[in-house]
Amino acid sequence: MAQTLRMTRRQFVITSAQVGGGMALSIAAGDAVAAALAHREPWSRPLGRGAVEINPWISISPDDSVLIRVASPESGNGVMTQCAMTVTEELRCDWAKVRVESISLNRDYQENLVYSTPGDFVATFAGRSTIPERMEYLLQLGASARERLKAAAAERWEVNPAEIDASNGVLTHKASGRSLRYGEIADHAATIKLHYEPAPKPASEWTFLGKASPTKLTNASIVDGSGVFGIDVRVPGMKYAALMQSPVHGGRLKSYDFDVIKNMPGVRGVAVVEPSAPRKQVRWRLSDQDNAPQAAIAVVADHYWQARSALEALPVQWDPGDGARWKTTEQLYDAALEVLEKPGETVDKDQGDALQLLASSKRRVDATYMTPFCDQAPMEPLNGTALVTADRVDIWHPSAISIQAYCTAAEEAGIRPENVHLHQTLVGGSFGRRLFGDDVCMVIAVAKRFAGTPIQVIWSREEMTRQGRYRSLKAMKLSAALGGDGLPIALHTRLGAFIKSGQNGLMDGAYANGLIPNVRVESTRVPLHILHGAYRAPGYNSIAFFVESFIDECAVASGMDPLEYRLRIFDKWPDAGWKKCLEEVAAKSNWGERLPRGQGQGLAISNWAMRGKPHSGTTVAVVAKVNVTRAGELTVERLDLAFDCGRILNRDAVLAQLQGGMLFGLNMSLNEELTIHDGQIVEGNFDRYPMLRMAEIPKKLEVHFGALSGHDRFNEVGEPPVGPVGPAVANAIFRATGKRIRTMPFRKHDLRWT
Amino acid sequence: MALTLNINGKSHTVAVDPETPLLWVLRDHLGMTGTKFGCGISQCGACTVHLDGAATRSCRVPAQAAAGMKITTIEGLSADATHPLQKLWVEMNVPQCGYCQAGMLMTAAALLEQIPNPTDADIDAWMTNICRCGTYPRIRAAIHRAAEALRA
Repeated sequence: MAQTLRMTRRQFVITSAQVGGGMALSIAAGDAVAAALAHREPWSRPLGRGAVEINPWISISPDDSVLIRVASPESGNGVMTQCAMTVTEELRCDWAKVRVESISLNRDYQENLVYSTPGDFVATFAGRSTIPERMEYLLQLGASARERLKAAAAERWEVNPAEIDASNGVLTHKASGRSLRYGEIADHAATIKLHYEPAPKPASEWTFLGKASPTKLTNASIVDGSGVFGIDVRVPGMKYAALMQSPVHGGRLKSYDFDVIKNMPGVRGVAVVEPSAPRKQVRWRLSDQDNAPQAAIAVVADHYWQARSALEALPVQWDPGDGARWKTTEQLYDAALEVLEKPGETVDKDQGDALQLLASSKRRVDATYMTPFCDQAPMEPLNGTALVTADRVDIWHPSAISIQAYCTAAEEAGIRPENVHLHQTLVGGSFGRRLFGDDVCMVIAVAKRFAGTPIQVIWSREEMTRQGRYRSLKAMKLSAALGGDGLPIALHTRLGAFIKSGQNGLMDGAYANGLIPNVRVESTRVPLHILHGAYRAPGYNSIAFFVESFIDECAVASGMDPLEYRLRIFDKWPDAGWKKCLEEVAAKSNWGERLPRGQGQGLAISNWAMRGKPHSGTTVAVVAKVNVTRAGELTVERLDLAFDCGRILNRDAVLAQLQGGMLFGLNMSLNEELTIHDGQIVEGNFDRYPMLRMAEIPKKLEVHFGALSGHDRFNEVGEPPVGPVGPAVANAIFRATGKRIRTMPFRKHDLRWT
Repeated sequence: MALTLNINGKSHTVAVDPETPLLWVLRDHLGMTGTKFGCGISQCGACTVHLDGAATRSCRVPAQAAAGMKITTIEGLSADATHPLQKLWVEMNVPQCGYCQAGMLMTAAALLEQIPNPTDADIDAWMTNICRCGTYPRIRAAIHRAAEALRA
């Protein structure tokens, strides 16, 4: 991935993009650039005076505070804290004095890619702080800085560096009883060149990673309101823009009448964004879609409320384009289901002879599942602030991938990268929404119409929800042939989707990579105008529901207990972590307890990022306990989760991600669905797109650590829990009511029973 | 038109359309950005402030309606982030992305003022703010701990 990005940037071709139309009243520019740059990192507190840079990642101040720069923005998973912990393990500084800030992409570009090599972590979004390459690099950074501090002290004391001990930010020479704090020798250390690279110690000797569980370094700035998210940026002379994009994705602006609003208070002008203006795209390889803006109009005013009021009063007409032919949601669903009746456009996997076995099978199970469009709905509405001048761009942005934001800003503004300055802010949630830079593109497209004036563009919640980059609708038909022992011997699946999908959780999962000998996976793509993107645990968030509900149906058809059924299936699997997860979660959740009608337990197990092989990815097993009243009212009373990601580095951070991921998966399953009418997304806000609140979450939400295998990977934990919660709940509903749930969201099902 | 607002014990006079929601007066006119915009329709609670001690969603309160009231924002919850809730929020690692937490803290602080020893049912009834990251279990635990701390 790093290779791709480096090449991309070397191949940077800048064109001067044009934006057609629009009317602007004059705004006095003022010298906003200098003022704005007074705070390069809007949310971090400045280091003490006299800070010395040991290397581009690590600075140390005379007061011993240590600044560690991190390539991944903080969107809530603690990535900045985790990276700083990894450096600290080897640097052996005082954790209480560690601070973090984001790297400068501009510096990276200008100084021979100082933050780009090796590995992929400049590019990488919020997570993946624990991939081996990155761990090694961060440990090496810490070890090298520590050895230079030691070497500096050794020179001063005229002793052998090997006799110096470094611990908790203090260098000690035991024999002579001398000591120095890091801050006292940092300037000298910065001049030291090592003749060798010290080897980081093996994981077995770590004293901080995996042992301590510090809270996030960003917490303090959250609880007093001082933390700066994108929407909190205040640049002198800044104006605000309220945004409206074509209500039908892909449509065009037909007409508008600025005269109607031009005398409204504070109004400065409008910006019209033309999607077909020439732009150079950086293709982020996670995405197969453009991040070009939609056709849009934005009203700029002195204050946001003025801009928004004026936008609401502005007469605007749109040409909806081709998307308007999708009149109803049912039309969409029918289109996805229809293709399941025909052979797939592509055969993604074909091993053994699944079709033949199914044709001749006496014990077969068939079912069709579907999941709808969903929005990531991070709590911070999309926004960004940009100042575009003839030869420079500054953008203050809550991007989840800094380098994507940086490259996108350069392209949209038509300004060379060395003159682009991205000021990364805190990120008010992403869940996949802030990865591809479509928001950056829009912000720059608006701001360049007001060159010389900083413009903050804010999406209303309704605008953001209806102009998403969604988790796309998927439908899947599954068929299994069961052997004499009741276990599946053949599996045939057909996916109908509006995007090309990787089918994470099936294609790379255990059933299709050894456990079921005959597997055929097909898929068909149906073209659609509705935009799509990444949503926490892409692909897997639907596929895990399809597969784990379907396996439950197979267990029922075999007359076996769902736990026993899965234990038998995974008996043959070389990675014992799966069975351990099942056994742990079953024991802790009191699996198999006798329950009255209307109550039930359900089980599901899945793995995120398995990549087709055992001892890989994160395995997660969930037991849900539900209560369904005769009137059909569903309560998820309890969720238990056991997992195996190999090993962990910060127990409480892992726990937080698993708790949050379970609730994310629960809300997705119970509540989330976007519908369309005449090509437009209907739901705009939380009144129609409900979110779980305190009173609605399970009274017990338990994470069990007993299935951790200790395998030498530190796989991620943010995505994995999103998969198995939905099928565990659906399987529990089946046991409580006899009703098999095959579509999300569950709240739309009639669960009454007699 | 000039409005005078009493915010965190200080008087502020702002030239603003009196119908402007209090949220935007705080954020844009006064630069107090701790109070967040999340939905604009009183659904999510990210914009919660205290008006005469009552937790109120400021995105739907016209600024003039708050004139003459004692307004408290997250910046004024304590002088130095030492409210027991703030300390426990850090210690118990409550925030994930953190965007909703100012509203959560303001709601929880008002709850503890009204009900010093809240039950789970009280917390359910009061804490109707939305957190997309799923920090609810920690918020509940931190409120219980803060209630203990305040009783001690």
